[in-house]
Amino acid sequence: MMAAEAVLEAATVRLRPLARRDVPLLLRWTNDPGVRHWLHRSESPPATLELAQARVEEMRRDPRTLAWCIEAGGRPIGDVRLLEIDTTHGRAELGIAIGEKDSWDRGYGTDAIRRVLRFAFQELGLRRVWLITDADNARGIRCYQKCGFVQEGFLRGHRLRYGRPLDMLAMGVLREEWEAQPSR
Amino acid sequence: MRLRPVAEPDLPLFVRWLNDHEVRYWLSMADGPGLTLESEREWFDEMRADPATVAWCIETEDGLPIGNLGLHAIDEAHGRATLGIFIGEKAYWGRGYGTEAIRQVLSYGFREMDLRRIALGTDEDNARGIRCYEKCGFVREGLLRAHRLRGGEPVNAVAMAVLREEWERGALGDHDGR
Repeated sequence: MMAAEAVLEAATVRLRPLARRDVPLLLRWTNDPGVRHWLHRSESPPATLELAQARVEEMRRDPRTLAWCIEAGGRPIGDVRLLEIDTTHGRAELGIAIGEKDSWDRGYGTDAIRRVLRFAFQELGLRRVWLITDADNARGIRCYQKCGFVQEGFLRGHRLRYGRPLDMLAMGVLREEWEAQPSR
Repeated sequence: MRLRPVAEPDLPLFVRWLNDHEVRYWLSMADGPGLTLESEREWFDEMRADPATVAWCIETEDGLPIGNLGLHAIDEAHGRATLGIFIGEKAYWGRGYGTEAIRQVLSYGFREMDLRRIALGTDEDNARGIRCYEKCGFVREGLLRAHRLRGGEPVNAVAMAVLREEWERGALGDHDGR
């Protein structure tokens, strides 16, 4: 499809296309209980190298997905994705995880998301980017709000965490809102 | 009314239904290209190969196919799925077939498939659809702004869902054959 595989530079982070060599890192991140807690994957058995590899291959093959590795000071700290990119309707879903916990709360996620939004709205010409997140993920929600996302829905028991139903929020940001942001 | 698995001989019918502008209007494919038998066969093969999708053909008591109903994005780990439905024969609109078909699939999804939650998205101005979903127990959970385009114009989507325990209360609370 479109303008795939771009390297995106931001103030504190650099986004480069997720590559095969990132698989061991992704594996370590998603199997870290502190990271996993916030992931949909918390209900699945721990990932193996083969599974993680297959997942990256699939993302790279899928024309509806773009995935970047987030680097801060040259060190990979997480990943950010645009999923279900729908050019007919001009929208995509955003997913992000900072896998290195010592890089939490430093604004890297906010910086990465702002850069991906710029790419989504300006380069891909999307009209809308949305996401779903755990309703108790206060840190994530604050970050998304800073990036311009507003709450649009409350999905009751949308996923399980350790076997218990967990509510999730749907949040979205429209291009014209993003354009009106002074801090974009 | 009965539901039976979608079969290859249904495909020409689906093409006719989904190329009908009044049917298409409420579906997310409204702004996509027209369907052909080839594109529909591709959908059919993908659907059959995809363990996360099941699709049924809705038939009248006389065995006349009138529409299609599916569960998509079936997620066993989290116990949920997304429902999609359309009645392709417009003469059968507004006669309760959709409601009955959805009730059957909810029963199947919650009892047989052991789902906890069934969700759907529909256009905010699809009053007939929303009334039908509400009758089946779905409640509004959100409004996804400008979620899709219809005739090039942004349309809001209502997010709705029904949970198993809500459905069980409804199913025990009345006796309309649910």
